[in-house]
Amino acid sequence: MDFRYTEEEEAFRREVQAFIKETVPPGWLGVDPGPEEESREDVYPLALKTWRRLGEKGWIGLTWPKAYGGQESPLWKEMILLQELSHHGVPGVDVSSAQADLVLTFGTEEQKKRFIPPITRGEVKWCIGMSEPDAGSDTFAVKLRAVEEKDCFVLNGQKIWSSGAHHAKYEVVYARTDPNNKHLGLSVFIVDLQSPGVTMRQIMQMTGLAPFCEVFFDNVRVPKENLLGEKNGGWAILLHAFGAERTYGLFVLYNAKRYLEQLVQFCRETHVNGEPLAKDPIIRNKLAQMAIEIEVGLNLGHELSWLAMQNQPTVKASSQIKVHGGGVAQRVANMGMQILGLYGQLSEDSKWVKIGGRMRHTYLGSVGFTLAGGTSEVSRGHIAGKAGLGLPKR
Amino acid sequence: MDLSFSEEQEMLWKSARDFLASRCPKTVVRQMEEDEKGYVPELWKEMAGLGWLGLPFPERYGGGGFKFLDLAILLEEMGRACLPGPFISTVVLGGMPVAEWGTEEQKKEILPKVCEGKAIMTLALTEPSARYDAGSVKVKAVVDGGDYVISGTKLFVPDAHIADYIVVVARTAEKANPEEGITLFIMDGKSRGVSTFVLRTIAGDKQCELTMDKVRVPKGMVLGKVDKGWEMVKKVIEWGALAKTAEMVGGAQQVMEMTIQYAKDRVQFDRPIGSFQIIQHYLADMSIDVDSSRVSLHKAAWMLSEGIGCTKEVSVIKGWVSEAYRRVTAQAHQIHGAIGFTKDHDLELYYRRAKAGELFFGDADFHREIVAQQLGL
Repeated sequence: MDFRYTEEEEAFRREVQAFIKETVPPGWLGVDPGPEEESREDVYPLALKTWRRLGEKGWIGLTWPKAYGGQESPLWKEMILLQELSHHGVPGVDVSSAQADLVLTFGTEEQKKRFIPPITRGEVKWCIGMSEPDAGSDTFAVKLRAVEEKDCFVLNGQKIWSSGAHHAKYEVVYARTDPNNKHLGLSVFIVDLQSPGVTMRQIMQMTGLAPFCEVFFDNVRVPKENLLGEKNGGWAILLHAFGAERTYGLFVLYNAKRYLEQLVQFCRETHVNGEPLAKDPIIRNKLAQMAIEIEVGLNLGHELSWLAMQNQPTVKASSQIKVHGGGVAQRVANMGMQILGLYGQLSEDSKWVKIGGRMRHTYLGSVGFTLAGGTSEVSRGHIAGKAGLGLPKR
Repeated sequence: MDLSFSEEQEMLWKSARDFLASRCPKTVVRQMEEDEKGYVPELWKEMAGLGWLGLPFPERYGGGGFKFLDLAILLEEMGRACLPGPFISTVVLGGMPVAEWGTEEQKKEILPKVCEGKAIMTLALTEPSARYDAGSVKVKAVVDGGDYVISGTKLFVPDAHIADYIVVVARTAEKANPEEGITLFIMDGKSRGVSTFVLRTIAGDKQCELTMDKVRVPKGMVLGKVDKGWEMVKKVIEWGALAKTAEMVGGAQQVMEMTIQYAKDRVQFDRPIGSFQIIQHYLADMSIDVDSSRVSLHKAAWMLSEGIGCTKEVSVIKGWVSEAYRRVTAQAHQIHGAIGFTKDHDLELYYRRAKAGELFFGDADFHREIVAQQLGL
């Protein structure tokens, strides 16, 4: 047993930290992982720049085959990169890599050659077209119809909650090709969002940002070369996609670590009526509890990484981290607001604001951490089911 | 990074599990709660024969030369089985301090006896203030000729009534900083002036009032340096907390397994209750508590084994498990319903031990304060 990273791994970590220092502006307070905050005017250019620079360093798709622009690096390298990016709240890493992973797993040689290299170069962004107004946790309730014609599929319907669709070039769309079979009637298409018939509407979240979209498909013609995997074989891709969400909980935890560090610093520097907040026993107890919850979650993350590197099943561990991480992030946000007291209410552009208004943002934004990528309830179901504790269905 | 056990470690936990399953059934556990000594001497001898009592001690004193991680693996199995007796007291609270800081004479006199199962030990630290800080050490030790003379009362001392050697934490000097002026003594448990009284505790473990009335301890039985004992005590608190955590992790794992099985077996409304969503979600949350505890325990135990400073990690895990194990047992009771509430059912053994474990060598609040210090607050 050895919990240490090797010298090589630590050296890479330092390299990533140096990259981050060069990339973000001085005094960068960080943003939450994912495309959510990229819809901020000041963040989007940084996100694009970071994505491009990651591509230049060959750090997008580190584990992918060299034939498509990857590095064929071991998994630990990718884990360290994503740990550091989440910890420091660097924008630019979103769902594109996970979509590329689907293409690499289910795509034809032609599709891999066509789609993967631009992603590795950081030139394009992808988004996910899975949820619909009537298909949330019940993913197989997807209604968006794909009808096969001679030389293409014609898509009609809509998607919702597509994060970053307004910035993306391609959307991985889960569509119904067989209306008579709920579970075995879905197919997956790679849709060019510039296609005629595609319209979008950005939806504002309670954070005040509008990073996700309704995407409407009105007789959108998708070439047959853009069908991913088998017709009606979407169930296999969906299952794989659920597994790929495994790292989301981990990023949320690394992200929470940054908020904790900011709060510790704030408490050390802030004096109220002559006493530093850091000496208040209630605050000490609360911050320590958050540190503990984050630390045990990260330890669970070590186990998850270990399982992944051994090619062992990871559904249970990743679901556990997702549930734990989402809850931790919400508690950290709430605690941050409690420590800031009245100041916690202030927007980032307000006079008198503290810590750049980050606590207020994450207090609102973290509501989504137990919903996105599969709700905590769905995740608990995965833990309890045959991939985990083996509890019976009926 | 490598989170696997070695072959030797796999064998250790498997053989420990089998041995304890057959030699420490719940009937024995319950008997020992009422028993005056609180342990089975035959079983103690067998454990000595298996090398368990000498596990972490150097081979030249009769030990196995194993590390703390191996001890933790063993302790997990002991927690799973609710093994009663003075194992942690003897090996961790008494033996390890002697092995770490003892003179060659002290080690040669004491450690072989411990390894052979011929000497039981413990640590007398807490006093009626029931706190683990230096300021609470008020029992005095004064020099008289070639001896120190110790008088005072220690409270909640595990297994003092059967201990052959008691490591006593006493004050030898009054300084402005209470952490200075503390000395550790290896006291003969049968000394004149020593009297013990076994308290009746929630988990049936034998915690004692230890009264010392002018007990003489020869200068040769000072452990470590005079007046410099608190640094050692801090380390022993870490070891004790981590050892108890390992026991608690093993217990929590067993409780979860019992509860999963119950949820699969118990049929109500024409279906196993484990098929109801809320029971599944309770158990999912339980598994997060159990699995996060286990890997965090292993990390801290591994760090201790490698001599890597782990003050923060120990307090993280003891702070976490103190509350996680309690949550697990409480939720397990909820899932088991009325049958789990009976004295006959095994579950209540774990519920009570979860509380005792929480309090042992620092509860969550105590360890959260240490974490706060480690954060730089």
